[in-house]
Amino acid sequence: MIQSILLWVLAMLLAPFFSAVILKVKAFFGGKKGPPLLINYYTLAKLFKKGSVYSTSTTFIFKLGPMISLGAAVTVLLFLPFAGQPPVFSFRGDLLFILYLLGLGRFFTIAAAMDTASPFEGMGAAREAYFPIICEATLFMILILFYVLTGELSLAAYFSGTQPFGMWQMAGSPMLFVVIAFFIILLAENSRVPVDDPATHLELTMIHEVMVLDHSGPDLGFIELGSFCKLFFYASIVARLIIPFESGYMALDLCLFAASLLIVYMAVGVMESVMARYRMDRVPKFLLTSFALAFFATVITLEFLK
Amino acid sequence: MNSFFLSTALICFGGLVTFLVWRQFVLMKAAAVSIISIGCTIGLVDAVVKLLNPGSYTASFEYLSLFSLSFQIDGLSAFFLVAIYAVSMLATIYSFHYMNNAEKALRSAANYFFFSLLIVSMALVVTATNMISFMLSWEIMSLSSFFLVIYDYESAENRKAGYLYFVFSHVGAMFILAAFGILYGYTGSFSFSSGSAIPDSAKLMVLILSFVGFGSKAGVFPFHVWLPHAHPAAPSHISAVMSGVMIKTGIYGIVRLYASLNLHTPLFGEIVLVAGMISGILGVVYALGQHDLKRLLAYHSVENIGIILIGIGLGMLGVSFGNPIMAVLGFSGGLLHVLNHSIFKSLLFMGAGMVIQKTGTRTIDMLGGLLKNMKITGITFLVGSLAISGLPPFNGFVSEFIIYLGGFKGVALDKTAFVLSILAIVSLAIIGGLALACFTKVVGVVFQGEPRSASAVAVDEKEPAMLVPMLVLAGICIIIGVFPRMFIAMSLMAVPVSGLGYGRIPMEPFIQMTANISLAATLFFIILLVLIALRTVLYRGKTIGTAGTWGCGFTQPTPKMQYSGTSYAASILEFFRPAAPLQEDHPAIHGRFPQKTHYLSHVDDIAELHMMRVVVNPFLWLFDRLRWIQHGDIHLYIGYILLAIVVLLFFV
Repeated sequence: MIQSILLWVLAMLLAPFFSAVILKVKAFFGGKKGPPLLINYYTLAKLFKKGSVYSTSTTFIFKLGPMISLGAAVTVLLFLPFAGQPPVFSFRGDLLFILYLLGLGRFFTIAAAMDTASPFEGMGAAREAYFPIICEATLFMILILFYVLTGELSLAAYFSGTQPFGMWQMAGSPMLFVVIAFFIILLAENSRVPVDDPATHLELTMIHEVMVLDHSGPDLGFIELGSFCKLFFYASIVARLIIPFESGYMALDLCLFAASLLIVYMAVGVMESVMARYRMDRVPKFLLTSFALAFFATVITLEFLK
Repeated sequence: MNSFFLSTALICFGGLVTFLVWRQFVLMKAAAVSIISIGCTIGLVDAVVKLLNPGSYTASFEYLSLFSLSFQIDGLSAFFLVAIYAVSMLATIYSFHYMNNAEKALRSAANYFFFSLLIVSMALVVTATNMISFMLSWEIMSLSSFFLVIYDYESAENRKAGYLYFVFSHVGAMFILAAFGILYGYTGSFSFSSGSAIPDSAKLMVLILSFVGFGSKAGVFPFHVWLPHAHPAAPSHISAVMSGVMIKTGIYGIVRLYASLNLHTPLFGEIVLVAGMISGILGVVYALGQHDLKRLLAYHSVENIGIILIGIGLGMLGVSFGNPIMAVLGFSGGLLHVLNHSIFKSLLFMGAGMVIQKTGTRTIDMLGGLLKNMKITGITFLVGSLAISGLPPFNGFVSEFIIYLGGFKGVALDKTAFVLSILAIVSLAIIGGLALACFTKVVGVVFQGEPRSASAVAVDEKEPAMLVPMLVLAGICIIIGVFPRMFIAMSLMAVPVSGLGYGRIPMEPFIQMTANISLAATLFFIILLVLIALRTVLYRGKTIGTAGTWGCGFTQPTPKMQYSGTSYAASILEFFRPAAPLQEDHPAIHGRFPQKTHYLSHVDDIAELHMMRVVVNPFLWLFDRLRWIQHGDIHLYIGYILLAIVVLLFFV
């Protein structure tokens, strides 16, 4: 238990570091030196030191939004097994709770954006409300597959110990589809290229960045930290899926986990460097690809199992 | 049964007393509200006691030994009674300040009279044990609610809505009557309970016919057409009761008949499940396309009826395939969603009523920024929105959670049931996402941002009789969301007594499930509290400024430039265009000095569109051809009756 809590705290502390890896990779592709790996800590420290300016249009929801989105992301991490270790909490059906809690965070992010009366933020909010619908359908499709494989409905049952390896053994190659589908979800849910572009603040092309345009100071820091944690959550799942091995020694497992996390973050960085962002009306098709992959993976696996 | 009849008598008395004192407007309201709400409270307490102490309580009356009226309260009835009395009581209190037009005193008196009849008839519908008492109560319910819908009969639109409702509820009643007719033909008895002995094909026929009839009351796609017309027409507390509990009597009818017929072929469960998925998804898609606040909420009733039917359909599949855990999860999830929906939907309608009363408009795109002056309405509406989107830690999540678990149980079944379970899970996920999109639109456009028209500027909220019921309902949303234990136990009580063909199964695992939800919700609250403390610390001694919203360099923003509800929903509606065709009227802009232009959009309901084409028009044509039969001569009519009797004597 104490060990799990320590891992949970460690995950929150390290999430900003891993996000900086993406920046490094992008800088490498651009032939630049790039910001230091600790850049996100500097940014957070800077934001936490500042005060804030609030728009006269806003209400308490604008201030509540960042706290709820961060709170949801942090709570979700409580249920995630890191490096195959048991999570802090786990119960049958916790995945449903997690997905809907992330939905709560999204609701308040959107509500905080609508609070500003800004047409740009409204536009971002409309997109933020639209794209995750398809992502959720894909996630539930994957969940059905995992349920068929393990008969369980919790993150601990899928990703702790030797479970991920067991799922590969049972399902075989269709798991590749799942990994790709999950990676697409990771990109979409965390507003990365090719769905969204976290680098620029050109309002009309953005989803997530434009929604937080009016936030400043510690509030913005909360939002940033929340998105680091959320990315860490999805990345850990993909990491456990691509490197499902376990040695039995905790230190070695942690290193292996960190290495696989680095691979995932670097993959995100490579994607951002070699791809352009899709036009907005192409995004749903991109996301439906992930749904199709998850659907085929489920159907194929079930045929094999029978 | 004494306290049950005491409460119904009190409620009726409260409705009648208004006609004695209608000249004293405030006195009339006070008398009606206090008597009806006391009656509802007695009924509520009685229902809760009977739900928690299982057993059946019966009463019957004979009239000249022609027909008998008999009533019984078992777990299922008591569960629906709880929802009916709780929502009706709060809606009655709400009406005290909502019905504020003293010039329409007599009409308000009539409104209270029909309202009391509606409450009583709903209570009788869910307790009736034979066909006669059921149909009698059902008709009183339909008629009294019809009179409530046409409260503002001056407007042609409302009269049309009332007419549509009248037609739908009576065509629906004909289907139910046909189902009962088949049942009676086989058993020769008016009682529901003797239905389990008839052949399976007849059972299926009875169930499908009654599903059409009950579905048209509940608002199942494609029989929901009356709903989005009738709810905006009725006064808001009536909409709250109609949408919150009256349409659930349709669900009650489906469950009750299913339980008493004891049919085990999976076909009916599959029909219910598919109907649920279609209603759920299309209901929320059409809701997204609405510009009228109350129409939008009405379409959400279609969506939530869909979710309830998904739960019940999964339960029926569980019964058919002999999987008791799936059956219990499906039924209890569906029933709990009945209770939850009645709570948050009546809350949302009350909030909408407050908005409409203060601003005088139902058009979403005319509103904005109401949260600043209407704090309580805004916050309770926000709670209702979170609950209806099925987000934790609110009550909508709890019932959807149980239905999901039922669906995952179904994945282990084979063939059709397996495919349908997968579809049910995915559609629940899509419904959840769409509902979130729809309610961020409502909250964002109506309550947040800046006022989009003059009517939304100077608003206030002072009426305690309207605010208190909303606060109570919002409180219940959170209580069920965080501590669902007692409420899941209540819905579990309602399931086994309806005799769904399996032995008692242990309740402990289900109770354990509630403990998990409470734990997770508490964890989230603790983390949130820590973050709030952290934020307070971080902001201590900082300079906090205020300024206008950052306009990205544009310095002359106007409230008209805000994102409107129409544009917010546009891209999602584009995705669903085949099911929700969008009609637009937008003259193009020409020249350097463009003329004034406009933009009109309207989402067509395909059920309404095709029902007109496929059903209504052929019938009109047919009846037009048959018009010669009716030519006004009374002798001829008597002749028709004689002829009919003679024909019946010979051939039947």
